Amino acid sequence: MALRFEVLGRFNRARAAHLTLPHFVCETPLFMPVGTQGTIKGLTTNQLEEIGCQIILGNTYHLALRPTSELIDELGGLHKFMNWPRAMLTDSGGFQMVSLLHLADITEKGVTFQSPVDGKPMLLTPEESIQIQNRIGADIIMALDDVVRTIITGPRIEEAMYRTLRWIDRCIAAHKRPHEQNLFGIVQGGLDPVLRDICVRGLVDRNLPGYAIGGLAGGEDKDSFWRVVAQCTAALPEDKPRYVMGVGYPLDIVVCSALGADMYDCVYPTRTARFGTALVPEGLLKLKNRAMSDDTRPIDPACACMVCKNYTRAYIHSLVTKDAMGSQLLSYHNLYYMMQLSRNLHSSIVQGRFPEFVCNFLQKMVCISLSLSSCH
Amino acid sequence: MSSSNSIHSSAMKFAVKAWSNGRARAGVLHLDCCPTPIDTPSLLLSTRKGLPLFISPDLLPSLPSPDSHLLHVSPLHFLEGLSMTTISKIGGLHQMLGLHEYGFAAVPRDSIQCLPEANSTNKVGASFETPCGRLLIKPAEYMEMISSLRPELWATLADEVPAWVSDKRNKTSVDRTIKWLDECIALSPTGGAVFGAIVGGSSLEERQRCAQEVARRNVSGHCSFVDMR
Repeated sequence: MALRFEVLGRFNRARAAHLTLPHFVCETPLFMPVGTQGTIKGLTTNQLEEIGCQIILGNTYHLALRPTSELIDELGGLHKFMNWPRAMLTDSGGFQMVSLLHLADITEKGVTFQSPVDGKPMLLTPEESIQIQNRIGADIIMALDDVVRTIITGPRIEEAMYRTLRWIDRCIAAHKRPHEQNLFGIVQGGLDPVLRDICVRGLVDRNLPGYAIGGLAGGEDKDSFWRVVAQCTAALPEDKPRYVMGVGYPLDIVVCSALGADMYDCVYPTRTARFGTALVPEGLLKLKNRAMSDDTRPIDPACACMVCKNYTRAYIHSLVTKDAMGSQLLSYHNLYYMMQLSRNLHSSIVQGRFPEFVCNFLQKMVCISLSLSSCH
Repeated sequence: MSSSNSIHSSAMKFAVKAWSNGRARAGVLHLDCCPTPIDTPSLLLSTRKGLPLFISPDLLPSLPSPDSHLLHVSPLHFLEGLSMTTISKIGGLHQMLGLHEYGFAAVPRDSIQCLPEANSTNKVGASFETPCGRLLIKPAEYMEMISSLRPELWATLADEVPAWVSDKRNKTSVDRTIKWLDECIALSPTGGAVFGAIVGGSSLEERQRCAQEVARRNVSGHCSFVDMR
């Protein structure tokens, strides 16, 4: 174990905590921007620090392809390679493999696929995934799981769940740096509460430093999504961090935090920025819209970021989808928005005003009032 | 070339500090908006819609100062998606870009995307090939852009031609450039320093003729267009 998780405040199931990792002390709930290829698209590491980013995610699949984990290791690890002093998390590589490579196939050995570089058949085993992540050197590493989309039904879900449990033991055995890197297990089981329960108990038995809820954020209906998150957070240990993978939309983050989750990651804020969409308290602002061309207000008058302090919607409108600077400025604003959301979640729980924060947040977004009971 | 050692306008002061044995000179440029004076010879940073292409505005201060404080702006960039009315409403370049301590030098063309199209230029205006198609810019329209943008320095509209045109075409380009020089000066807003455009291709006489005409007008500097191909 290379982390400490200290809960500072609660409201019902929501909790605010200090998560102490080798490179940084983080405040949860928190959102992690995704730095796919050793960089967050459109921002420098200086800017990430400035907006209050605490931990970023690196994709093992992309990094293993380019520039390779061996080179990263040789150059002192990913922190040094990309000059990021704070915390880092790497995923196992499994998800990208399955979602990006149409010829990927999962067997008991691991994930077999065709190398996108030269077409050769390759195999990513739990052991190999952990070795790659050991070389990259992130504070948190993820177990290789057998991930199945929740829209799929049938025996495949059960097979994947049991395989995930068998693979976690192989991951634990292969992990060479348990005192510097924290191996998180991932709960699978689709939308089936029985399978999810078996998986949670199996992972908890292994006494891992933290746990992730996987297999969601893939198009399932919202009611199923909340139910699975609620079930898992209720069953996972109180004193360890809980990470909902691939989430996401600000609303989802607020609700999952109310249900007791602590960490999130998603490409959404930066990806939607590249399409000209800004995240605002009311929801989304589409800067491409013709109406923006003579709107001299900032994107969000209440936002304190460099973009909102200096630029009008009209100017950003003239840049988006035509000039790279448009993507950069919007990415900066959107990530600032997510960091501010994380800070607000943490401080409102610590200061005992979480329900007020949530209701305020929801009111602005949906313009109706909700009773407190729907937050539980 | 002006023989005086210094030039003043409301936004800009320039003085020569030293000469080489030949014709090179080192000078210093004071702009009201820039906190420190800028040594010349000086390079302008190229921009796209006013912001540098390669670095976001919050990171600009990390570049050497004051050497990175002069930015080249092409007014043509704004024709794609931003009206002059809106730019005026926002308050001009400094307000729009959030760059208050940087000086802007407006020249119609840039070095990559907005290039003069000599074959389409006529007596009414200068033609440019741009990302939003071919545009014919008349002096009055150009001055409307300058008045909205309010750069510290701006070049007058020129009929730029490549080095291989006929003598006749080359002479026409000088005639037009001088005519447009007067039209631009007549419409010039208060506050900006006018740089008279000098063309003439590779003909020494035409270059001299153009330069002499520009020198006769009350301009703060000269902007020479040279075909590097």
